[in-house]
Amino acid sequence: MGYGSIVRVPFGPQHPALKEPEHFTFEVEGDIIVDVKPRLGYNHRGIEKAMEVRTYIQNIYLAERICGICSDAHTTCYCQAIEELLGVEAPPRANYIRVIIAELERIHSHLLWVGIAAHEIGFDTLFMHIWRDRETVMDILEFVSGNRVHYAMNTIGGVRRDIPSDMAPKIRKGLNFLEKRIKELIKTVQVDPTIRERTVNVGILKPKDAVELCDVGPTLRASGIKNDVRRDDPYAAYGEVPFNVITNDGCDVYARIIVRCQEMLESINMIRYALDNLPSGMTRVRVPMVVPAGEVVSRVEAPRGELIHYAKSNGTSKPERYKVRSPTLANIPALCKMLLGQHVADIPIVLAGIDPCFACMDRIAIINSKTQEKKTISFEELRRYAQKWRKIH
Amino acid sequence: MKRQMSIENEIIDKLKEALREKVLEASSPRFRRVFVKIKNDALREAVAFLTDKLGVKHISTITGIDSGEEIELIYHFALQGAISISLRTIIPKNSLTIPSIVDLVPGAILYEREVHDMLGVIFEGHPDLSRLILPEDWPEGLYPLRKEYSPEELRKMVAESGGEA
Repeated sequence: MGYGSIVRVPFGPQHPALKEPEHFTFEVEGDIIVDVKPRLGYNHRGIEKAMEVRTYIQNIYLAERICGICSDAHTTCYCQAIEELLGVEAPPRANYIRVIIAELERIHSHLLWVGIAAHEIGFDTLFMHIWRDRETVMDILEFVSGNRVHYAMNTIGGVRRDIPSDMAPKIRKGLNFLEKRIKELIKTVQVDPTIRERTVNVGILKPKDAVELCDVGPTLRASGIKNDVRRDDPYAAYGEVPFNVITNDGCDVYARIIVRCQEMLESINMIRYALDNLPSGMTRVRVPMVVPAGEVVSRVEAPRGELIHYAKSNGTSKPERYKVRSPTLANIPALCKMLLGQHVADIPIVLAGIDPCFACMDRIAIINSKTQEKKTISFEELRRYAQKWRKIH
Repeated sequence: MKRQMSIENEIIDKLKEALREKVLEASSPRFRRVFVKIKNDALREAVAFLTDKLGVKHISTITGIDSGEEIELIYHFALQGAISISLRTIIPKNSLTIPSIVDLVPGAILYEREVHDMLGVIFEGHPDLSRLILPEDWPEGLYPLRKEYSPEELRKMVAESGGEA
């Protein structure tokens, strides 16, 4: 503080992996962030509009492609919304399979995130170890669905593929390996001084602010708020599968790592339970192409938090209006709050802390507000700068 | 399930009691879902009642729907993360203004901007209604979620104005 001049640092915007690619303008005084302004939509694809001109069946595939990481969360939310409009229920076996796929997705998403978090703080060895282990869950997903990313498991009225009992041993074997590795990972995170140094007390989000800014998912739970759509508004078979809602009172990036790691262990147990108690019977019911007029609110706990879809039908084979709000948008106001008072060097890890899809954020321009002199640096350079800065401070 | 059903009805009863004739319709189609339609001049009163009296803290999103002559706004709240309360109000297209609720529910800040971008609704009292989603070169006054134009027509209109679609 005390440098006297406020410099605006535009940040972003290329970020195509999510529905909400992000751009932030940081106002920094010296090295401290004093204001954050988000600017989204650089990759807004108009999916809501596109859904209005497509049939309910075509829209399953469009919903799947809203996100490349939580593709299953979107189709689950979409399919259960349309099922409710139609007044049909997915068979119990389909609901259990939905839980299995959703939890496998959560493990893959959280592992991806912990890997990226390790990368952001310059711990690339851990990043590579985690992503190697993550291949196990990707293999399971491919083994079950035939696909690594867009599993296309859900359909209106159930699931498209069964998980027969002879698949279970291979899934269990993979889960045993993952459990061992994730426990090891938690141990590493807890004792490693590099991780603690870069994440403890970084990106603080107090419980009061988290609630006020309507934060969701692991970010909210890492601020000590017990909130999980799977428990509070159960869907699919979540009302029958026992699990603990993981919370942590740390309110910092470290707490967000711990919450996600422990959630993966819960997910493993949930998949085991679902495999053990998989009901017999059909995996889908046939549904009509035309949906009666009505409206419905559908909610799902995606890996990043509460996902909400709203559907309004008009009695034809196409929806009148379809609204999607994915969890990252809900996390942005809280993210802006967390970044206040942080060092520029901590931007990458705090931003990564809410788990936005980070893959392609690669361009940052630093503008001196007085001279309007512009200097563009890549995200990679900022990351290196961050590590260098941390070494001397 | 029966016990939970009564919570939803209790919410409806309390809202009706507090807002009386300003509640136009209210229903609970299933457990954990409440839909309430209110007069548009009662929005802030209704939201203040939800937050102060019922303890609703969380807004999930705001949906805007173009229904011809009017724009329908649905504020999706969640009570204790469990019961989704959808507050619906309708504003005519010739006067697309509605008071902002950001001071009552700070989490609504981006959702109001999103509806402003996509449908042209003006939220009076919002701290910053600048563009959030649409690109800089998007033509002024063109609201993509309006029903007047199909996706193809939109693409053409944006291209004609020199923008990229």
